[in-house]
Amino acid sequence: MSTARDLVRVAIGGLFARKVRTVLLLLGPMIGVAAIIAAVGLTDSAKGDLKRKVAELGTNLVEVSAASSFGADTPTLPADAVERAFTVTTVEKVSAIFELSNIVVTPYEEAAEQFETVPIPVVAADDQLPDVLEVPLVSGRWLNRFDAENQTRAAVIGIGLAREFGYLPGELRLIELDGTSYAVVGVLDAVELSPNLDNAVFISFRSAEDDFVELGLNEVFEPGKLYARSTEGREQITADALKVAIDLGGPTEVQTSIKSEALELAAESDRQLQLIVVSMGLLAIVVGGLGIANVMSISVIQRSSEIGIRRALGHTRGIIATQFLLEAVVVGFLGGVLGVLLGVASIAVGVALAGWVFVLASWLPPAGIVLAIVISVLAGLYPAVRAARLEPLETLRLG
Amino acid sequence: MSGPPALSPFLELVGVSRVYGTGDTAVYALRDVSLSIMPGDFVSIVGPSGSGKSTMLGLLGCLDLPSSGEIRVGDHVVSALDDAERTRVRGRSIGFVFQQFHLIPHLDALGNVETALLYRGMRVAERRERSMVALEQVGLAHRADHRPVQLSGGEQQRVAFARALVTEPRILLGDEPTGALDSKNAANVMELLAELRSPERAIVIVTHDLGVAGAAARTVSMRDGTIVSDVSNEVDQMSWNQRSVAGDRPDPPASVATA
Repeated sequence: MSTARDLVRVAIGGLFARKVRTVLLLLGPMIGVAAIIAAVGLTDSAKGDLKRKVAELGTNLVEVSAASSFGADTPTLPADAVERAFTVTTVEKVSAIFELSNIVVTPYEEAAEQFETVPIPVVAADDQLPDVLEVPLVSGRWLNRFDAENQTRAAVIGIGLAREFGYLPGELRLIELDGTSYAVVGVLDAVELSPNLDNAVFISFRSAEDDFVELGLNEVFEPGKLYARSTEGREQITADALKVAIDLGGPTEVQTSIKSEALELAAESDRQLQLIVVSMGLLAIVVGGLGIANVMSISVIQRSSEIGIRRALGHTRGIIATQFLLEAVVVGFLGGVLGVLLGVASIAVGVALAGWVFVLASWLPPAGIVLAIVISVLAGLYPAVRAARLEPLETLRLG
Repeated sequence: MSGPPALSPFLELVGVSRVYGTGDTAVYALRDVSLSIMPGDFVSIVGPSGSGKSTMLGLLGCLDLPSSGEIRVGDHVVSALDDAERTRVRGRSIGFVFQQFHLIPHLDALGNVETALLYRGMRVAERRERSMVALEQVGLAHRADHRPVQLSGGEQQRVAFARALVTEPRILLGDEPTGALDSKNAANVMELLAELRSPERAIVIVTHDLGVAGAAARTVSMRDGTIVSDVSNEVDQMSWNQRSVAGDRPDPPASVATA
């Protein structure tokens, strides 16, 4: 143990005593590690906000919609589509909606003319929607069973619409849907995966049925769209299975899409750029390693008399070799640590200048330090062996 | 009045030859040499260039191996040991002082002395303390934090002595220890060597300076790879030994007193 301590002390002492040489040795691994860290960190950070969004929203939202091959009416899914969706075992949550068309929405009676020409989507939704979208309410509450049972004309508005209408949280406000007054009971936060919902008015299926929709032949309400959350990682299988489970045949075609796919694609880092800069960093480390081998080889020659006297004083070949290798380890470690600091600093500067979100994989800094040490040790191997092989008799020039 | 008790040698060469090259080009640097270094010895080895004294020094210092013959240090047959074992025996038994001092330039005087005690499982505090004692012994404690370039030649050589002595070796081996010094410093070194004589130690110096050689108690002369004479400086040796036995020898050197 104390021998190990002596080795470390001598290695560090030797490096400190030759500061310029040590700094030159450090540069190679330092620049290499810094380049690699900065390359990966900056390319990741450039897409950092998107990556974070994907992580927050989850990648498992599947949208099921109906498309009519004939295109006449608003196509609908089967009335029991929700139950059918739950027959797919990887489906965890489901919500159904129906988008009503051609309804004039006005924030208050006097403003009717102003809004007549602006189409505002009115969406009939079940009580599961915020839960499935994983979007909270900014204020108030979501539509519930009570609204449906009591034929309450309650509406929730999207956050975009709330801003447009100048709606204040908790305010008692009636809005007009085709002249029918609805009470605003809540505001839904932004829906990142379906931004069109931000400007929508949400009412219950019962309200829609009562005020706006003529039911089909079966006298049951048929949803136009489902949102389903699948088990994490099983999105594609779930989407395919949902298509089969809900499709009744006939004129209505069932379409599914995974909502986060486009976002994930956008969040993908520029791999090619990353590869190029990382390769340059690796090159810098290897060149740095050659530099270490070179400088240490020269150092062995310069220190041959020191090596000779150490051998005469009883230091074995093993000790001499280990001593040189340990200097390489310390150089690699210091170079690696400085490289990580430099790399992180460059990312921070880049992020600050470009307004990105700082992203750095946690395994990168330790991996960079280990890489620097490994390269340094490989580079130090040959000089260490040469140092150990020096014959004290030759270096001490006796007589 | 009886003679000193029979002692076993600290260092022994038995029928040692050292040959460089093979076949027609073989050169005998040392030819069938035997030599015993006894406790308390103060030996000078002299001879002209090419007489084999440097080869002899390498072998005595266990830095080289004989082509034939045996080298013993205490109980160890050094010529039969592997490099690592030989290195350890060297570190434990022999202290070196060189003509060119061979101090490590980036270490201060104390650091240079401490180098001899590295990798021995010694606590840092103890190593430092012993190194300071060794520096005091050569009168350089006040220069402990000076680097070799900040020291005069004589001071550097005294640091080298401290480094050689700090391991408390039984054999102190000097290679032209005064060769690089002016006459005043050379005289100081010879004085120091005389002070360092002790029954627990043998001092061997290799030199071509006959004045230096004459200061030793025993002179081994070499020529053409063989020992041509091995004379005791009778008067000194006898008087020193007799006084030693009688118990009224001069005050022992500080190293003995503190050891």
